[in-house]
Amino acid sequence: MTRIAIEARDLQLAYQRKTILNHLNLAVPEGAVLGLVGRNGAGKSTLMRCLTGLVKPTQGSCRIGGYPSQDLADEVRERLGVVAQTPDLFEWLTGEQHFEQIGTMYRDWQHDRARALAAQLDLPLLTPARALSLGDQQKLAVVLALGHDPDWLLLDEPVASLDPVARRAFMRALFDRVEREGPRTVIISSHLLSDLERVVSHVAFMRQGRIQLMDAWDVLAEQVRCVQGPEAPPPDCVLAQTADGRWIVDLRRAPPGMHGEAMNLEDLFEGLNV
Amino acid sequence: MHMNFSIAPSDPTPIYRQIVDQVRRQMAGGQLRPGMELPSVRALAQQHAINPMTVSKAYSLLESEGLLERRRGMGMVVAGQGAHRAVDPERLLAPLLQALVRQAAELGLPPETLHRLIDQTLDNTSERETP
Repeated sequence: MTRIAIEARDLQLAYQRKTILNHLNLAVPEGAVLGLVGRNGAGKSTLMRCLTGLVKPTQGSCRIGGYPSQDLADEVRERLGVVAQTPDLFEWLTGEQHFEQIGTMYRDWQHDRARALAAQLDLPLLTPARALSLGDQQKLAVVLALGHDPDWLLLDEPVASLDPVARRAFMRALFDRVEREGPRTVIISSHLLSDLERVVSHVAFMRQGRIQLMDAWDVLAEQVRCVQGPEAPPPDCVLAQTADGRWIVDLRRAPPGMHGEAMNLEDLFEGLNV
Repeated sequence: MHMNFSIAPSDPTPIYRQIVDQVRRQMAGGQLRPGMELPSVRALAQQHAINPMTVSKAYSLLESEGLLERRRGMGMVVAGQGAHRAVDPERLLAPLLQALVRQAAELGLPPETLHRLIDQTLDNTSERETP
C-alpha cells in the first residue's frame, strides 16, 4: 500500500460565520502530483494554508509526512516547499539576495540549482523584487520553493502570470530532483487545466469547502463519461447533471454496457460546477 | 532519437494511453522496427513537460504486452519479430469504428445504410488509388 504523504481529516474552518472548509477529508499518496481544482472561493487557498500550518482550522487536523501541520519542527519544515498565491517576497531584495537570505536557511539549499532554474525560467536575478513584473515575482517564489529540493511541495496558483514557455520550464522543474529516497509529493492549484493535465497523477475537485471527487486522473479520464438520456442512469453512479440535462456518470458504479462521451479536465470541471 | 510522439493534454484520452497507441501504430506501420531504441522516460517526459510516471506507465504496459523489451544499459527497445505480430491492425481500428457506429446511431442511420456508406467509401477510395 502506498503511504499517505499529505492528509486532512474532518477539516472545518469558519470565518465570520461563513463556512470555508466543510468537514473536508483528503489523503494524498506519496509521490502523487495532485491537481487541486475548483472555482474561485471553493476553499483551495484556505485548504493549502491549513495543510502548511499557516491557518489553524476550527476543527479537524492536517498532517504532512505524518507530522501535524500545526506544529512542524524546523527539520520537517526544511523539507517543505510552498508558493503562496501572492508571492511572499522582500521587495527591496534582488533574486540573488533572496537566495542568500532565505535559501541559506535551508540545509539542502543549492545555489547552483536555483540559478539554473532561474535561467530556465528567464528570471533576472539582479533586479529588486519590487521592480519585477508579477510573472517574474512568481518565478522567484517558485525558484525559492524548489531550490532546496523539497519532499513536499504545495503550490497555490504558481503559474497564473507566467507565459507558456516559462510554464513549460516550471512543469519540467517539478520533476527535477537530486537523487533522494522517496519521491516528491506535490499539490498544485491552477485554473490552467490543460497544463495540469500534463503533470498531475491525481485530481481533486473542490466545491464549497469540500472535496467533491478525487482519484487518479487516468482512472477518471477512463471511467467518467457524459451520458445522454433519454432515461436517467441509476442515481448511484451519477456524479452530476450538466446544464444541458446530460449526466456525468462513474462507469465503475454504472450498470455494464453504459457508454457516453469521454471528458477532458475542462469538461469535467465545468460539468461538476453547474 | 528520431521518434516523434505528439501529446495532446486536452484530449480526453489519457496521456499514457496516447503514448501506448502511438507506439502500437508506429510498430504496425513499420516506422518502429525490432531493436530500435525508444527515448528514455526522462527524455520523453522532459521533452513534453509531462509527468515521468506517465511515461513509465505507458512503457511498462507495452513491456507487459511483449511489444517492448527492457535492455540493460539501453533502456526500452522494440521487441523482436514474434512480438511484432502482437500488434493487431484490426484492434487499432476499433476505437474509430466504435466512434463511427455511435455517430451513425446518433444520426439515426440504420446499420444497412452504414454498411452501404462504408462500401461506397471503399469503392471510391480504391478507384482513386488504382493507377
